[in-house]
Amino acid sequence: MKILLVEDDRLLAREIARALREENFAVDIAANGEDGQHLGETEAYDAAVLDLGLPKVPGVEVLSSWRKHERHLPVLILTARDGWTDKVAGFKAGADDYLTKPFRIEELVMRLRALVRRASGHGAPRISCGPLSFETQTGVFELDGLPLKLTALEWRVLECLILRKDTVVERGVLSEKAYEGDGGTDSNSLEVIVARLRRKVGKTLIETERGRGYKLVSVSR
Amino acid sequence: MMNRNASLGRRLMIGAGVFITAALVIAAILIAFVLHRFVQGQIDQRLDAQILFLSSMLEVDAGGNLRLAGSADGPPFDLSRHGWYWQISGPKNVLRSRSLNGADLAHPDIDDRPPPPPPPSPRSEDGLSPQDRPVPADGMGPYERRLHFRILTVATPAGPAMIVATSPRDAVMGPLWEAMRTLALSLGVLGVALIGAMLIQIRLGLRPLERLRSAVAEVRSGLRDSVPEAQPSEVQPLADELNALLAENAANLERARKHVSNLAHGLKTPLATLAISLRKQTTNTEELHDLVSLMDRRIRHHLGRARSAALGGPLRARTAIASRADDLALVLGKVNAHKEIAFVNTVPPGLAVACEPQDIDEMLGNVLENAFVWCRGEVAVSASEEGRSVVLFVEDDGPGLSAEQMSLAMQAGRRFDERSPGFGFGLSITSELAELYAGSLTLERSALGGLRVALRLPASG
Repeated sequence: MKILLVEDDRLLAREIARALREENFAVDIAANGEDGQHLGETEAYDAAVLDLGLPKVPGVEVLSSWRKHERHLPVLILTARDGWTDKVAGFKAGADDYLTKPFRIEELVMRLRALVRRASGHGAPRISCGPLSFETQTGVFELDGLPLKLTALEWRVLECLILRKDTVVERGVLSEKAYEGDGGTDSNSLEVIVARLRRKVGKTLIETERGRGYKLVSVSR
Repeated sequence: MMNRNASLGRRLMIGAGVFITAALVIAAILIAFVLHRFVQGQIDQRLDAQILFLSSMLEVDAGGNLRLAGSADGPPFDLSRHGWYWQISGPKNVLRSRSLNGADLAHPDIDDRPPPPPPPSPRSEDGLSPQDRPVPADGMGPYERRLHFRILTVATPAGPAMIVATSPRDAVMGPLWEAMRTLALSLGVLGVALIGAMLIQIRLGLRPLERLRSAVAEVRSGLRDSVPEAQPSEVQPLADELNALLAENAANLERARKHVSNLAHGLKTPLATLAISLRKQTTNTEELHDLVSLMDRRIRHHLGRARSAALGGPLRARTAIASRADDLALVLGKVNAHKEIAFVNTVPPGLAVACEPQDIDEMLGNVLENAFVWCRGEVAVSASEEGRSVVLFVEDDGPGLSAEQMSLAMQAGRRFDERSPGFGFGLSITSELAELYAGSLTLERSALGGLRVALRLPASG
C-alpha cells in the first residue's frame, strides 16, 4: 500500500511517515501543495493524506485538481480542531474522510486501511483468498488461521495482490505500489519478492501471467 | 457649499463675518435714511416758517397789487444767489426776495398748474390744516442751482397768491454727508470690534475640543486611563462615548490577558507531567495520549473564551441553517459510509440565526458528528422559532445517554469513549459556543430512541 502524504509541517510529516512505514506502508512526502498536486497527478497511490493548510497551493485546490484529472484515489484530509467549515469545503472538493489535529496515529492507520479497502470494492474488513486471509483493519495476514510474518516489501506486494484478488496486477503497478518514490525499481527484485512470497504462502496461490504480471487466485487451477 | 472638512474656526468666522457685515450695511442705510428725513424736516420747518411769515405780512394795495408790510429778507434770505429765496406770485404782480437778484423763480408747478394736493402728513402739530400745508418740490432754480421748494397758495382780497420758499439742495446733503462720514467711521470701528470679539469667542469656544484632543493623546500615551468627566455640555456626550469605548477596550484586553494566562497555566501542568513521563523509560503511551488530549481541550476551551472577548458588541451575522446542516451531513454521511444512515432535515430553508457561519458549522458539526457516530440508522434535524430565538433539534436513534451521562457530557473535556472519535468533547464545546451567543445547549431523550440535542440560538433580524 502506497500513501501520498502532503503535509508542510516537517516534524509532523516525518512522524506520520515513520509510523505508516512501521505499518508496512510505502510513503511519499510532499511538503507543499504544488509538489503534492504534481505527485498526485503523475504517480499511482492507494490513498492520500492531505493537510488543508498548505503553502503555495491550498489543500482544497490540490484535491479539486486531482479530481479534475480523474485521480480517484481515496483522500483523507487533516484539519484543525474547529475546522468544520474546512471539512465541508474539503468534502465538496472530493475528500473521503477527515481527521482533526491532534490525532492518534493508530486512528490514521485504521482510517487509511478502511479507505483503501473500500476503494478496492471490499465491503467486509476481512478479505479471504483460499487459505490466505487479510484483516484490513489491523493489516495482519493469516495463513490457515496463523499469522504470517512478512517484510514491508512482501506485505505491500501481497496486500496489493489480495485487494485485487483473481485479477492480474501488472508488474509496473505492483512495483509502483511497493516502492517509495520512483524507487529505481528493478524488475528482478520484484521477482525475488514474489518468489519469497510463494515460499511463504504456497506456490500455487500466486500465478505468473507471462509478460503482464501476477495474480492471486482464490481457487488454484 | 462649504467643504464638510473645513475647519470649524473658519466656518464660524465666515458665517459671522457675513452676518456682521450685512447688519452694519443695513444699519448704515437705515441711519442715513432717518438722518436725511431729520435734516430735511428741519429745513422744511424753516421754509414753512418763512412762508407763514410772508403770508402774515401780505397786503393788497388799492390797485390790487400785492405788497409786504415789512422786510422779509432776514437771514438766510439776505444772502444773494445762495439758494435761499422766496417769491410771491399774485394775480397782478410778483414779489421776490432780494437774494434772487431779480431773477425769476421758475417752477413748472408754479407756472403751469396749481400745486398737486399735498400728501397726507403725520405731522399736524405745527397748527396747519392739510390745505394750509406747503407742498414740497425739487428742481432747478436760477443760477444753475438745484433747489428744494416749498409752495403754498393763499387767498388774498386780490385773488389767490402763490408763496414759494426755497433752500439749496446742498443745505440737506452737506450736513447729511458730514454725519454719514462720522457714522461710517463709527460703524467700521464697531465692525472691527465685533470681528475681534468673534475671533476671541471662536478661540474660547473651540478650546474644550483642543483640551479633549490632548486628553485623548494622554490616554494614548498612558498618562491617564480616561478622558476627564467634567466637560461642557456640548462635548460631554463625545467624552462619555470615548470613555465607554476606552472602558470596553480595557475590559476586552483584560479578559484576553486573563484567558492567555489561564491557557498558559492550564498547559503548564500537563506539560510538566509530560516532561516527567518522557524521562521515565517505562512510559505508558495511553497516559501520554491523555495528556495530549487534555492540552488540546484546554487550548480549545480558552481559545473559545478569548474569541468571546473579541465578539463583544451586537452581532449582525446571519446564517441560514438548513443548507449548513446538509453540507455537514454530506461530510458525515461519507465518513460513516459503512452504515446505512437516513438523514432527515426538516429545517425551513429560510430560517437563519444571528451567528457567524464558522460557529454554526462548529456547533452543528460537533452535534451532528455525535449523532452520526451513535445512531443506528437515522439522524433527524429540525428547528422551531421561539420568540427571538431559534431552537435546533438534532436527534438520533442510537442508545442515547442516561441522566447521569447527560450531566457528565456537559462538563468541559469529558469524553465517554476514548475509542470513539469526537464524542463527548464536542458537546461541551458546542455548549460553550452557544453561551457566547447567549444561547444554550440541552440534552433530552429523543422520540427516535436516542439522544436529542436542543440548541437554542438567537434568531437573525
